[in-house]
Amino acid sequence: MQRIRLLAPLLFAMALPASAQDIDAREIVKQAELAAYYAGDDGRSAARMLIKDAQGRTQTRQFIILRKDREDGGAQDMMVFFSRPSDVRNTVFRVVKQVERDDDRWLYLPGLDLVKRISAGDKRTSFVGSHFFYEDVSGRRTDEDSFTLLSDEGERYVLEGKPTDPASVEFNRYVVEIDKQTKLPMLINFYQNGDQPYRRVEALKIENIQGHPTVTHSRVSDLQSGGSTEMQFRFVSYDLGLPDDIFSERSLRNPPTDWLTLRD
Amino acid sequence: MKAWVLHLAIARRKWVFWGLALLTAVMVAQLPRIQIDTDPENMLPADNQARIFHNQARETFAMHDAIVVGAVNNDGIYTPESLAALKSVSDFAATLDGVIVQDLMSLSAVDNITQEGPGTIRFEWMMKQVPETSEKAAQLRSNVERLPLLFNTLVSEDGKAAAIYVPIIDKNQSYAIARQLQAHIDSLSSTDQWHITGLPVAEDRFGYEMFVQMGISAPLAGLMIFVLLFIFFRNVPFITAPMIVAMATVLITMGLLIGMGFTVHIMSSMIAIFLMPIAVVDSVHIMSEFADRYRPGMSVKEVIKEIVGHLFTPMLYTSVTSTVGFLSLMLTPIPPVQIFGAFVGFGIMLAFVITIVFIPAYLVSLNPATLDKMQQHLPDETQSKLAGAVRKLGKLAGSHAKLWLMGFMLIFAFSVWGISKIQINDNPVRWFKQDHQLRVADRVLNDHFAGTYDAFLVLQSTTAPNTAINRALETAASSMSSASANWLKSLKTLGLDQAISAIDDKLFEMTDSTDQAALEQLMMSLEQINRDSKVFTQPEVLEYMAGLQAHMQQSGLVGKSNSLTDVVKTVNRELRSGEQSDYQLPATANGVAQALLQYQSSHRPDDLWHFVTPDYQQSLLWLQLTSGDNQDMTAVVDLVDDYVATNPLPEGLRYDWAGKAYLNVVWQQAMVAGMLDSLISAFITVFIMMVILFRSLVYGTLAMLPLTITISLIYGLIGWIGKDYDMPIAVLSSLTLGLSVDFAIHFLERARDTYRNTGNLRTALQVMFEEPGRAISRNAIVIAMGFTPLLFAPLVPYITVGIFLASIMAVSALVTLIMLPALMTLLQRRV
Repeated sequence: MQRIRLLAPLLFAMALPASAQDIDAREIVKQAELAAYYAGDDGRSAARMLIKDAQGRTQTRQFIILRKDREDGGAQDMMVFFSRPSDVRNTVFRVVKQVERDDDRWLYLPGLDLVKRISAGDKRTSFVGSHFFYEDVSGRRTDEDSFTLLSDEGERYVLEGKPTDPASVEFNRYVVEIDKQTKLPMLINFYQNGDQPYRRVEALKIENIQGHPTVTHSRVSDLQSGGSTEMQFRFVSYDLGLPDDIFSERSLRNPPTDWLTLRD
Repeated sequence: MKAWVLHLAIARRKWVFWGLALLTAVMVAQLPRIQIDTDPENMLPADNQARIFHNQARETFAMHDAIVVGAVNNDGIYTPESLAALKSVSDFAATLDGVIVQDLMSLSAVDNITQEGPGTIRFEWMMKQVPETSEKAAQLRSNVERLPLLFNTLVSEDGKAAAIYVPIIDKNQSYAIARQLQAHIDSLSSTDQWHITGLPVAEDRFGYEMFVQMGISAPLAGLMIFVLLFIFFRNVPFITAPMIVAMATVLITMGLLIGMGFTVHIMSSMIAIFLMPIAVVDSVHIMSEFADRYRPGMSVKEVIKEIVGHLFTPMLYTSVTSTVGFLSLMLTPIPPVQIFGAFVGFGIMLAFVITIVFIPAYLVSLNPATLDKMQQHLPDETQSKLAGAVRKLGKLAGSHAKLWLMGFMLIFAFSVWGISKIQINDNPVRWFKQDHQLRVADRVLNDHFAGTYDAFLVLQSTTAPNTAINRALETAASSMSSASANWLKSLKTLGLDQAISAIDDKLFEMTDSTDQAALEQLMMSLEQINRDSKVFTQPEVLEYMAGLQAHMQQSGLVGKSNSLTDVVKTVNRELRSGEQSDYQLPATANGVAQALLQYQSSHRPDDLWHFVTPDYQQSLLWLQLTSGDNQDMTAVVDLVDDYVATNPLPEGLRYDWAGKAYLNVVWQQAMVAGMLDSLISAFITVFIMMVILFRSLVYGTLAMLPLTITISLIYGLIGWIGKDYDMPIAVLSSLTLGLSVDFAIHFLERARDTYRNTGNLRTALQVMFEEPGRAISRNAIVIAMGFTPLLFAPLVPYITVGIFLASIMAVSALVTLIMLPALMTLLQRRV
């Protein structure tokens, strides 16, 4: 009797076709991507990062992100305007997120009077010295990994992602927990070898803004070195009707100040 | 008192034996707790300023101790095969426990910054995949050679060698990690020559060799002494006594040292071999006389009492003078040297006490038949080769006294001249023998690379921004409402960046427009203060560092230097055209900050913090030297001092040194200065003791002369030969003084006695070259030979000590036997 009870869930799992399960998992991930990166048609938020190294020394970064979707779950325009520390003020990133190919990225450095296109190359490099990767800010394409649903008990789905091209990333696998209600990823642990994660991404605070559950406080921890970065979003708003022309090379040198004023 | 002690020792023999056995057993029980200390840093006390600064700098800039793995291929290292092996080892190292993965440096673990078409910059791993073709490998080479921080550090200039730096958390794991790396390398069937070195590995090997030394040299010394004693006395039960004294002394002293929680450093690992010969000397005196006087049928007790009675004072004095010599080492500000001096000093006095108590008890307990047998088998001393040689020496010394004296004066002048030529220099890597694998690795890697020895020049701002911040806060508070002014106080505990963020937040919730204006003004001032405090984003400061680096490179003393300037220039070049003409500093501090923001956008954002602190108030210049010689490091320090003297540092900056190569210079200087103190104080103390012992200024002076000549001769020779004055040689100066004066004490005591008895100096001196001369020579032989097993030791300092002590003891005995008769003849009226 005891043995049969143990076997039962196993049998049930085997009865499901493997592909069906994968589709299921992919569907959840797609929804999570939409919830985390495509809320509304456009959006604006003021971000502040507190970067802490293993010795507890801190740096801050403050910037405003403007975003506009070309289509839900598809191409997306993004501008990042830095305001602090004051010596990097007016540094601007422009990103065009692509689905079928690598993103396009540009950079404006006022101190060097320089507009530069950045080859996307590897998106798993540090975002301006923080523990966030570029990919964490712009979103990792869901077709780059294969997913398995590990558990759907309780309030969260637990999925495991494995890279389809392991050579392109530094992790072997990751386990992501997605809130069933908001569809937001709440916790991601990355693994290299063994079962000790070396990197962790956490959503610390969720707020409902204009009907969109939004992560307003998150943290990335480098579990190897002991450093971590917290990012807070304030003044988040959606569907502002951002005009297309502000997502242009012109805006790098001439920021659209009207859209960057938070007090209105 | 001595009679009472002697009486008790003889009457309560069992107590003596059991007491000694028990004490020895208790101390032996401490031995397994031994802790080896191989860190050269511990040559300096924990509270030494230079050491504290060194460790602060290492922590601040995360400069970890690293195992260095080097691969050399004389046909070039940029081949798919060699690169594959390198990547394999690097990847393997990253999986090992105890490795600080994020700071591991290898071609496959660092970033490349390149131009990808016009107007495009690209950040990517330098060697994510191993190049499959030689063209791709050549491309990799040109990529590496474009990056000054990597070129000649990760791959040698000649393209024949590559290195992997494996930083580790705990150097106690270095052996395990190095062994795993070696096993992995062996499994690769790579045709490259591989070397594993680096400070943690060297220290670990060093600790191992120390154990080998203690395991081999000390027992060998014991055996040597045993053989010598057997040649002298031909009776095993009889000579077992001094061996017991020596063993007990060594075991108790080492047990005490370990039991008291002291670590065993290179110096204290020599305690056993120092104590062994010194401990038997007193016994040899007692037994020599006993063998001379004892005849079958005599009462052993009476003979012993008589002998100990008149040997007590000279034995006490020789023990005390030797102890003084060793204790004087405690004046040297080098903790391992102090501990060594203290415990050998203790051991000598312990040996004296054990000798006085144990030897009589032991001899009395011996079966009289054994003693009779010993008596019969004893060779006729007066006919031995030694006796003949000593007599001849006596004749030589007796004639031509003036000639001898002139000879000694010439030798002294020659020695002083030699001393003036002494080169003070040391290098812990050279403590390994020439053909040791670490020395080979050291040579090979320094041949190819810009240098494996590190020194850090730390530049820092002397003015913290606190005063300016407080002033800005006060100004703001004075024009604000009291509630808002109160709120300002909470900012004082925050860092500048966070205070600015807090003000930013506050501005959004504020309604009072006056307060708002004041707060906005404050935020602007704080941002200005923040920018101003970031000294190392200022182009003038970076330019100064570049100038200093160029000057160092030009001098040829520094293999390579790496600094924040190199980082900024490289990033700026790649952001602009990628051409060498753009290898420049940006014109403004903001430009520098923005270039660095890009540098931080790599796979290794924390690499920046090896060169500057996040507040940009301290910066580190990493110097790679091809030589770890203190002389070379000192030359670099002087070079920088001179440069700064003619090209003053930008205002508000100061510089300090860190790095092991520099620390070695610090402790060596402390040692040289300290040694002079201990030598002088030992000399004065021993001189005063001699005057008291002989109750005569003339005899006191006489006693000091042979050792003065001996020590200056030996050090003069070191100067003439050009051997570096290093750690072991420095340490030996004062302690040899205490040892070599023993010969003079015994000679003068006996000579004066005999002279007083006979009334004729000539006859007295003749008598001196019979039994007393033989005893002195015999002791000199025991001590000198006792140190020779050190010649077989695996580490150079041990060998130096062995050669040095053996020769100083031999020369000192010889000088004593020649010089004192000559001087006494000349000073006949005064002695």
